[in-house]
Amino acid sequence: MANFLEELPVLGVGASLSLSSVPEPVSLVRAKGGPSFVEYSGLVDVDRVIDEVDKIRAAGAPLLFHPSYINFCGSYPNSTAWLESTSTHIESVGSSWFAQDVAYCFWEEGSGYSTQLGYFIPLMFNQCSLEHAVERVKEVQAKVSVPVAIEPPAVTFIVGSMTLFSFLGSLATQTDCAILLDMGHLVSYEMASGRSILDEIDELPVERVIEVHIAGGRLKEGELGLIYVDAHECEIVNQTWQMFEVILPRLPNVKAICYECEGVNENRVLSTLKRIRKIVREKSTNDTLVETLTNYI
Amino acid sequence: MSFQEQERALFDLIFDSNVRKDFSENSTAALHQYELNEEERNDFNTIRSDALDLDAKIRIDLLLSHFCCFFPVSFSILSSISGGIETLKSLVDVLTMRTATIERMTYFGRRIGECLNELPFSTAHEQKKVSMILEAELGVTWISEALKREVLENGQLHIKSSQVDQCWSTKKIKLAPYVCVAMIPQSYEKLKQSFCPDIGCDLWRTLNKKPLAEVTRKKVLEKDDPRLFIARVHVSHMSQCEPTIDQKKVELSEGFASLFQHVNGTVSVDYILENLRRIGAQDEMVQTIKATFQQLLESEMLEQA
Repeated sequence: MANFLEELPVLGVGASLSLSSVPEPVSLVRAKGGPSFVEYSGLVDVDRVIDEVDKIRAAGAPLLFHPSYINFCGSYPNSTAWLESTSTHIESVGSSWFAQDVAYCFWEEGSGYSTQLGYFIPLMFNQCSLEHAVERVKEVQAKVSVPVAIEPPAVTFIVGSMTLFSFLGSLATQTDCAILLDMGHLVSYEMASGRSILDEIDELPVERVIEVHIAGGRLKEGELGLIYVDAHECEIVNQTWQMFEVILPRLPNVKAICYECEGVNENRVLSTLKRIRKIVREKSTNDTLVETLTNYI
Repeated sequence: MSFQEQERALFDLIFDSNVRKDFSENSTAALHQYELNEEERNDFNTIRSDALDLDAKIRIDLLLSHFCCFFPVSFSILSSISGGIETLKSLVDVLTMRTATIERMTYFGRRIGECLNELPFSTAHEQKKVSMILEAELGVTWISEALKREVLENGQLHIKSSQVDQCWSTKKIKLAPYVCVAMIPQSYEKLKQSFCPDIGCDLWRTLNKKPLAEVTRKKVLEKDDPRLFIARVHVSHMSQCEPTIDQKKVELSEGFASLFQHVNGTVSVDYILENLRRIGAQDEMVQTIKATFQQLLESEMLEQA
């Protein structure tokens, strides 16, 4: 395993929030049973968010920056200006690592947030796509000073025959980067591909997984079966909880479990964090992570 | 291998409803227009067509919730017209999405304008009013995109701040950069209050759930209180990636429209006022007009030529 992963801090069970909507980050951090860290998907320019970030830090929670404007795949390179601003942002807020979905946030020359495409356009699972993804990840690694973590995106459909974990594992190994696994995104992959994540788990370098996401979603009934739609304001679906319980014991180095709860009210966030902590205590094989929960009920 | 052709096909499948329809009927035939070998074409066989359709539908909704911020009054009005919401959705297609991000909203707005003739407005007069409102919103969008492009290409703008000295009225005047002027049938703020139950991205969701009532549209648009709408955009937050563009708006009475035809760098305010006096304008009115021009110069909507 890459040494840098050993040195990363263990952050415990935290929450991913929008700095501009409910739940209010500082109030949540100060609440009993609140998150031990805060992840946010902010704007590229740190001066637009630094006041909010400082308040959260003052409340005692470290931060992770998790944006949605980097192309970690495809043939369209990230612009130097956006990468430089990202680097400044990460250093200013003290993000211990830098994670984002491996997907298209922009097309051709149009650097920008994934909202300009509606949301991420999914990557294609083939060898050529993998080669471009290696190039994109290295491009980011060359500019940012902290470890990069790659996350499989939510998918409604699949292009290509390579398995998710074969793609992700090769990408992580070739670029020596970390991995973030979103449980809902894994459910979405199973539904879109008809494959089982557990059948592929041996292709994933699990020791590289440093962060887990768990978030709300919606299940739509399609003509050919269920389709998972990422929707953080919704309840976490049963399939996602089950995925969490099955995958978590296989991740020996996971350092952060993040509940993505933008738009969810504070009481529901706190009760969900409690449930997540219970599962971490029961299922995680990382003792250091479990130790971070000592002071929580 | 032609990965770029695969990317092109992927983009079209997401944003081109015709390609998507063809693909759901015969995936191989639908992909013949792309220079793909068999292996590359086979990569698309894994797509669930029902999921692709859902993806496109969700994506269009998300995009329109952002597009709505640029044309809030026009979107609200169109929601009250039979086929209006469907028309807006149909315009989020591969043509719009292949347009460079920095020009996309202007292009989209123009396309709305081209569709107005096909929509069942109550009267031609009502349609004309809607067209005027759209033109005003499109004007602001266009200057916003133009300013953003200028800033991204050339860095911080150094627009000279116009000093309004004592003899300002003797100097020739013109519109300042990044200013647009349009006639609108009523005060824009009043239109927004009457038509837009929400602001920002939430408006599109609200209009989908509960479109503007036809009766409200007709009642509000029946009134005639034309205004000269003037907007100026400026950079409120400088960035080498995503500068923030804000806007200032003023509205003048209809009578200013004819005066503004002369605000083109060839005449001074004194010249305009002198002509008004010559056709019989009262001194009080002339002084009011002069004060308005001074305010427009001070707020950098106008500048000395």
